[in-house]
Amino acid sequence: MGILTVLWEKWAEFKRDFYKITLAAMIAPLMYILVFGMGIQTISHGQSYLNFLIPGVVALTTMNGSFNAIAQNLNVQRLYEKAFDQVMISPTPLWQFIVGQIIGGSLRGIYAGCIIILLILPIGTNLCFNGWTFLIMFLNGAVFSTLGVVVSFYAKSHTDVPRFSNYVIMPMAYLCNTFFSSDSMPGGLREVIQYLPLSQASSMIRSIANREIFSYTGMLVLAGYLIILAGIAFCFLYKKKNL
Amino acid sequence: MIELKNLTKKYDEFTAVDNLTLTIETGGFFGLLGPNGAGKSTTIGMLSTLYLPTKGEILIDGERLTRKNTALKRKISVVTQEYSMRQDMTIEEIMEYQGRLYFVPKKVIKEKSQELLEFCGLINYRRRTVRKLSGGMKRKLMVCRALLTEPDILLLDEPTAGMDALARRQMWNLLKKLNRNNLTILLTTHYMEEAEILCDRVGLMYGGKLEEVDTPKAMIDRLGAYAVDQVTEEEMRSCFFPRKEDAIRFLSGLSGDAGLRSTTLEDVFLEKVGKHLANQ
Repeated sequence: MGILTVLWEKWAEFKRDFYKITLAAMIAPLMYILVFGMGIQTISHGQSYLNFLIPGVVALTTMNGSFNAIAQNLNVQRLYEKAFDQVMISPTPLWQFIVGQIIGGSLRGIYAGCIIILLILPIGTNLCFNGWTFLIMFLNGAVFSTLGVVVSFYAKSHTDVPRFSNYVIMPMAYLCNTFFSSDSMPGGLREVIQYLPLSQASSMIRSIANREIFSYTGMLVLAGYLIILAGIAFCFLYKKKNL
Repeated sequence: MIELKNLTKKYDEFTAVDNLTLTIETGGFFGLLGPNGAGKSTTIGMLSTLYLPTKGEILIDGERLTRKNTALKRKISVVTQEYSMRQDMTIEEIMEYQGRLYFVPKKVIKEKSQELLEFCGLINYRRRTVRKLSGGMKRKLMVCRALLTEPDILLLDEPTAGMDALARRQMWNLLKKLNRNNLTILLTTHYMEEAEILCDRVGLMYGGKLEEVDTPKAMIDRLGAYAVDQVTEEEMRSCFFPRKEDAIRFLSGLSGDAGLRSTTLEDVFLEKVGKHLANQ
């Protein structure tokens, strides 16, 4: 029930800011595809670079869509508007609030990813996107929505979320198997990057897009991140002395 | 019934609320008074589970209040000191969101919202976003929102701050009516007149400690029911007398600007705080 309340809130927000949300989700990924994929025409990994790039851009768009839908919004509600106080005071179980945020954020991520998939349809890339793709997008979105919840809870000022985006989300967007394969990274760094959630999501979406078998380990890694981050968020809400 | 038992809240070395023990009976209207930083809002914060006590506990009808106790939280509504609302939501959305957070059926949300918004004069602005409302309107909306859930306990942290005189009077009438219907109310306010008119008991807090609890009348009587104000060039000084004759006799001996009046709760407050400040 509480989950539905949060989803209702997210839906109200989505309806109100539909154009802003849609445009924001489209601009950066579209630029990546136009500049790196269509402007600079190269071959990579035995295929057109555009075909390599698109699955990575879909994964990173899902990540950005989900993280941005939650982190900044919740941070403003907690520190500036204090609207989050009413949620804490209310009888809505706090775990339901967090789950609602995770699902809502994931759906926003899927929405952003779907826009990219729709936009590349006329190009005729012959890439495959199926139910597994959407499941991975959902899981990837869930991980980054939960990260958004955690970041917004621990942020001490309004500038902390953009700062976190600059230091963590943006490097991940470039390095995690999106614009180039993480196999080409130097040893040590490669292992670290490969186990980051976006690397796993990119890799799985790319395998599916190329009609290859993908490793289910990636799903387990994403589920692991989800459980750990959700645990941190639950602990914060139930144990934190002053909110 | 609300019971606060040895409630203490510390922020590092600073003690905001110090060993507060207080009982508010069901249907009571209790006013928590004190200067800025006395610990009133922290107490409300603990009652609304925003802050967890460092020591002590809160019992509602004999049951311990925690963040996980959703059944108890259902009974409580809070009007916080700050405008705790999403700025991009409309009045209608704010009411619906609140109703949903408290699991109020959709039909009831609609009917009750209509009734409350009409009463507070906000019905014509129901599609206006919070961002575009005046301070007084936001305050009214917060009260409407709190009442939507038909709580058993209403916590009000300076609910009429920023309201005009007419709106404040309307709010007093509403709160009185609700209290007559057995709603337990805990109010913090800087308007002593408000506390004197509304509350059946008040508590004076200073430095996190609850110093005195009584009815406003008993507190006033203890100080002296009659006050003589003497205005000099430097200050205004008040002297208090239990009997009117004594006050008149004192007044007749004064020269310059002076007057006789009934003592108010504000006098009690000023005397108490003044003593503390003098001791510092």
